[in-house]
Amino acid sequence: MPLDNVVFWVFAPISIGTAIAMVFQRNAVHAALFLIVNFFTIAVLYLVLDAPFLFAVQIIVYAGAIMVLFLFVIMLVGVDREESLVERLHWQRPGAIVLGLGLIAEVVAAVRAGIGFATKAPPHFDQLANKGGNPAALSRVLFRDYFFPFEVTSVLLIVAAIAAMVLAHRRRGITLAEREAEAVGGVDGSRTEPLA
Amino acid sequence: MLKSIWIVPALPLAGFAINLFVGKKLGRWAGILASLLMVASFAVALGVLNDLLKLPAEQRLFVRHLYDWIGVGSFRAAADLRVDPLSMTMVMVVTGVGSLIHIYSIGYMHGDPRYGRFFAYLNLFCFFMLTLVLAQNFLFLYLGWEGVGLCSYLLIGFWHERPSAANAAKKAFIVTRIGDTFMLIGIVLVFLRLGSLDFSHVLVSPGALAGPVRPSGVYTIIALLLFAGAIGKSAQVPLHVWLPDAMEGPTPVSALIHAATMVTAGVYLVARTHVFFEISGVALVVVLVVGLVTAVYAATAAVGQDDIKRVLAYSTISQLGFMFFALGLKAYAAAIFLLVTHAFYKALMFLSAGSVMHGLEGEADLKKMGALRRAMPVTTAVFAIGALAISGVPPFAGFFSKDQILAAANQTGHEVAWLVALVAAFFSALYIARLIFLAFSGDDRTERHAHESPPVMTIPLGFLAVGATFGGLLGLSAVTGQLQTFLAPVLGEIPEPSAGLSEATLTAISVVVALAGILVGWFVYGSGKIDWMALRVRLASVQRFLAGGWYVDDVYAATIVAPGKAGSAFLAYVVDEGVVDGIVNAVGILFQWLARVTRRVQTGFVRTYALAFLLGAVALLVYVGFRL
Amino acid sequence: MRTPIAYFLVVSAALFAIGTVGVLVRRNALVIFMSIELQLNAVNLALVAFSRMHGDLTGQVLTFFSMVVAAAEVVVGLAIIVNVNRRRRTADVDDLNLLKW
Repeated sequence: MPLDNVVFWVFAPISIGTAIAMVFQRNAVHAALFLIVNFFTIAVLYLVLDAPFLFAVQIIVYAGAIMVLFLFVIMLVGVDREESLVERLHWQRPGAIVLGLGLIAEVVAAVRAGIGFATKAPPHFDQLANKGGNPAALSRVLFRDYFFPFEVTSVLLIVAAIAAMVLAHRRRGITLAEREAEAVGGVDGSRTEPLA
Repeated sequence: MLKSIWIVPALPLAGFAINLFVGKKLGRWAGILASLLMVASFAVALGVLNDLLKLPAEQRLFVRHLYDWIGVGSFRAAADLRVDPLSMTMVMVVTGVGSLIHIYSIGYMHGDPRYGRFFAYLNLFCFFMLTLVLAQNFLFLYLGWEGVGLCSYLLIGFWHERPSAANAAKKAFIVTRIGDTFMLIGIVLVFLRLGSLDFSHVLVSPGALAGPVRPSGVYTIIALLLFAGAIGKSAQVPLHVWLPDAMEGPTPVSALIHAATMVTAGVYLVARTHVFFEISGVALVVVLVVGLVTAVYAATAAVGQDDIKRVLAYSTISQLGFMFFALGLKAYAAAIFLLVTHAFYKALMFLSAGSVMHGLEGEADLKKMGALRRAMPVTTAVFAIGALAISGVPPFAGFFSKDQILAAANQTGHEVAWLVALVAAFFSALYIARLIFLAFSGDDRTERHAHESPPVMTIPLGFLAVGATFGGLLGLSAVTGQLQTFLAPVLGEIPEPSAGLSEATLTAISVVVALAGILVGWFVYGSGKIDWMALRVRLASVQRFLAGGWYVDDVYAATIVAPGKAGSAFLAYVVDEGVVDGIVNAVGILFQWLARVTRRVQTGFVRTYALAFLLGAVALLVYVGFRL
Repeated sequence: MRTPIAYFLVVSAALFAIGTVGVLVRRNALVIFMSIELQLNAVNLALVAFSRMHGDLTGQVLTFFSMVVAAAEVVVGLAIIVNVNRRRRTADVDDLNLLKW
């Protein structure tokens, strides 16, 4: 059995399994942890697909930065907040499951009609596309053909940072009572109760 | 001067306009202005008449073209005025009696809050009436016809705060409308079958009609339809029910419109279009019968009335019946003669009744009057003159006119009709004698302090009394009277006596009948020998029957008005509110229901929206997948 | 590599569907957000698979950008969630139903 086959058949089910587990966790922290495992497995799958740079970036950015951020916020919001099992919208769960399965079925059908289940990856990827190693080849494409989007995304990151600061800013100098009133009703008269 | 005939209707029209817009500011002067304009109109009419008389008898016809009013395809109707003996006779009556009544109203309507508006309406009425009698074609006549109907409505309901007055005005308008509608159909037929609406073109024998027409028997229909309009406007049976109720209006209105002028429009119409009736023959008989029946019926009903004005109202209906009776006998000039004399003495009596009511502060019930001759001598005198005139006692005006008609009846072979007419004449004398004796003699049953009316009211009464006394001179002898000769070019000659009794015998008989009526009236009501109040109680059902006009009104109310109201109620509530509104409301309710159902999509939960997204996305994918 | 590319695509589809179900079924705002991240990752996987199939690095570049944008999005999204939680004391998405009719 070729190595990449084995790796695939080990990590793909883990990936799907942890994803399902994440969805079914009542505790948010548990869900976050399962997601981290999922990201690791996806990173490995990147590796199988001859994308070592993305393997590294996935772990560093997603599992390392984004999920940590998630965990911070979960701490902030409330760690032990357990979601109740009672579902008020009756058709939500059955509908979601049916449509999800439908989605999978459609993609499978599309793939079967498109490239078929037999097509393997073409050989000599490392010699042609990944010439000089994946990071070097990637940088060649990135800084030449996609230079402008690259700069734009850097601006995007700055904007995101500023936005976060603005959104999460807490006013200094208001009393606890005012803060409480703000939390419940909104001092500026914004309605917090539904109309019905 | 003939060309200035247009000034005659124009003056009252100007008076209407002025009084309508600045009447309030004019105050007392509104009435004086209106009366002056009418007097001026009368003066101009005199001038025109003078010019007309200068022409030889066969050429007394002048058409004054004002402007081309309607011209559509082959249909032409111009605003033309026709000056001929018949129209000038009517013009003199309208302007003459009209002027006197305007002057009388200055005093009668004094103090009324809508003083100026009253005179505006009165002037407007005179304008329309003059248009009616001066019109040269049917459409212009119909304009005047409708206009006087409108003014009658406005004036009957002048004190519209009174529900009885408002209802009376409505009733008058609606009942005459029935006649008017038939008349309009008749006018349409005139155009369709005879080719034109112009009097000079159609009021000729069929052989002389111009243009491609096929009259063939349509004359009967046209005549009957036009007569239907006359029945409505002149309050003949069966469309007479509005006239007694029209007494709700001010007394000058009753005098002018419902005695002297508007109600005579029907008589004028039939006289003007007598050619149609003569060609038809059947229509003439119908006119005769209707007139005779009405004359007798109304005379009996008048005997039972307690309201002084209602007696006079039924009297008017009866006298109009006499006029139509005369028309039916082909004695058109006699009918017009009666019209003229009737205008004098009926207006006189109405205005005198107004004077009585004015003196008694509004009391009109005969039971509550009596012995007024002491407090109101002038009024008593003029009323008595009018009473003698209407009874047909010589030498007063009514005698000559009525006598002529009775003679025409007897001498042309209508013996039975003559006898019936005599019965009507007897009752005419009876009811007016009853009125005189109850009001002016006997015991004083008034509860108020009576006083004579001011000169501005009594002087016009004097003029009218003169007319009622000496008006007979206009048609002095039975055949060769001045008026008849004057009218002959238009109305033809009075039929020659062919049979029957002699002139002298007939005259004697009619005088005897008149005196008999007066005698009976004096005996029962004036002599004191009979307790008429007890008699009235004993014959209460008869009295009620007569007072209710033989219950015709009640019959109409049950058979026509009630089903009409039921039908209207059905249409208003079931059809309009139920069906029509229901459909409209249903549309609204439909949308409300639709909204109520569809807004449940807006649950407020993000997750349902997300589910909807996914549903749409999956569906789209399936669709695209199948397409590919 | 001997695994047919289609298998990677099936895995991607499965992860995507699971993420979608997670968005629809969970009420905790943070778990919903995590499911969205799962969806993004599924797409990234598909992109890399196609890139390998076509021998073109464009897919990997696109994935790179997708990760960057996802990071920025997470930053802003979490800030919003923190804000909402501060005002309404809730992390339950069903409580934010002011747009109900």
